Amino acid sequence: MKLRLTILSLMVLVLISTIGVQACRKKEMEVPKGPTPVSFDIPQGFPKPEYDFAGNPLTKEGIELGKKLFYDGILSADGNFPCASCHQQFAAFATFDHDLSHGFNDAFTTRNAPGMFNLAWRKEFHHDGGILNLETQPLAPITAKNEMAETVDNVVRKLRASTTYPPLFAAAFGDAEINSQRMLKALAQFVVTMVSANSKYDKVKRGAASFTQFEQAGYTVFQSKCATCHQEPFFTDGSFRNNGIGLNPFLKDGGRIRITGNAADSMKFLVPSLRNVALTFPYMHDGRFTSLQQSIEHYRSGIKQTPNLDPSLQLGIALTNSDIVNLTAFLKTLTDSSFINDKRFAP
Amino acid sequence: MRFPSPFSVLLLIAVMLSGCQREVDEELSNAQLELTITHQSGGAPLQLGTPYTNGLGETFTINTFKYYLSNLALVNGNNVVTIPDTYFLVDDETDSTKTIKVQVPAGTYTGLRMLLGVDSTRNVSGAQTGALDPVQDMFWTWNTGYIMAKLEGSSPLSSAPNNRIQYHIGGFAGTNSSLRTVTINFPAPVQVERTMQVSLIAEIMRWFDAVHPLPIAQTAVSMTPGPLAAQYADNYSKMFRLNSVLIP
Repeated sequence: MKLRLTILSLMVLVLISTIGVQACRKKEMEVPKGPTPVSFDIPQGFPKPEYDFAGNPLTKEGIELGKKLFYDGILSADGNFPCASCHQQFAAFATFDHDLSHGFNDAFTTRNAPGMFNLAWRKEFHHDGGILNLETQPLAPITAKNEMAETVDNVVRKLRASTTYPPLFAAAFGDAEINSQRMLKALAQFVVTMVSANSKYDKVKRGAASFTQFEQAGYTVFQSKCATCHQEPFFTDGSFRNNGIGLNPFLKDGGRIRITGNAADSMKFLVPSLRNVALTFPYMHDGRFTSLQQSIEHYRSGIKQTPNLDPSLQLGIALTNSDIVNLTAFLKTLTDSSFINDKRFAP
Repeated sequence: MRFPSPFSVLLLIAVMLSGCQREVDEELSNAQLELTITHQSGGAPLQLGTPYTNGLGETFTINTFKYYLSNLALVNGNNVVTIPDTYFLVDDETDSTKTIKVQVPAGTYTGLRMLLGVDSTRNVSGAQTGALDPVQDMFWTWNTGYIMAKLEGSSPLSSAPNNRIQYHIGGFAGTNSSLRTVTINFPAPVQVERTMQVSLIAEIMRWFDAVHPLPIAQTAVSMTPGPLAAQYADNYSKMFRLNSVLIP
């Protein structure tokens, strides 16, 4: 009897352990149903991205949700100001031909809207670098009184109350829960896919095209006179510098000092990328220069001797007229027309 | 040969199943810490909207008082047991936020440690949720970072609009960081098997003068990271003291 009981319990043990192991194994091998993973391709010559994809894995549904949010006025107080109102694809996601952009209640923004591309490699956002993670950037325009003029709380409430969004959040995140974190992660998934690396310049680098004589001459000028700050392949070194344009008397914008409180950062702004620069006019943090020629001329003859002026610009940049013509020709090779026409980024 | 008894078989099964469980639930913590915080003003329970006089002789009224506690840890001499993923927003207006319950490993402890504010990593790690969700209205959007502590109200000594006083204390980096570690020592080592109840008192008067005397008449508003914010952080980090430790 006792033996039988023991044998029986042994059998039970074997059975249960099999089930137990199966249960454990099943957990490991289970293929999760849900959003479709999307890989992020790093263009040739680009380094490892800064963005933490592990914390927000790209999915087809996540990117689609992000795109819908990007183009939807629901993120703004009166419905008129989606992200896309200031970030237009045909202007490489800057505001086309506007020094400052328009926001809620006929207000102007205080800075020129920068283009949006290659954000996965950025450490800091905004002209003053006040934003340290791509995911938290949208909170600034959403809540700014002169931009989208909303509260995060109310945006989440509107999204929850809509009929369109709950199924889209469910598709992207596995359940229909809507919160600010998911909204921001979806937006990040969309904008991080905006990679611009197919300009003529890139094709030349890949050996798939060649510069004209003017463009080549301009590239040579660029490499010797501009590349300290506008480093390839992003055409920025990501630093903050005072480029001698002087304080805008109306905006009185000190730039980086607003973030650090450090007097040595007064009048410093993030060195912008020059990719797609022919599309992102007007130029500078306040959009004061309307053309490439004007901007280049500033570096040749317009540098103002202000405190914290960048050491490399103390004497301005010596350029001949033909240098400027060639440089302009080169800068236009940084226009990525496949990027601005890419249907993945269009509404 | 001796066959295993039914008891040992059951034991084996239990061990096996718990082994499986551990993959899902990483917590090995088997005891509970119940941390209760009582806000006081001049030794009496804090009442929002009631006029008080601070240690500098200035009258003031508080409408909002909230702050982050994070990175809770139990201390035993030099041994520190950090409790993972602990982020709490304590809001005077909401009583439920003043009792914090977390699972901790059973053991003997000589004190409690906590970070007043949100650690620098979480300030820059992208979109957060729960207590750290920006809907809590404790996040600066244009100069990214959490407001570690917020005190708002009014005082006749304030020259700001509507005599308001408004202190949003934040900043997580460099010399002006407003992050402060608070260590509460227990009077004697406490052995915890199931539950420990720690009761703290937070005295609001300390905000104005615990380390640096900061008269309302001089600074009624502090809204950016910087040396002033750091001084307020020095002050309010001294507002906590132990009321009791109980093993029920």
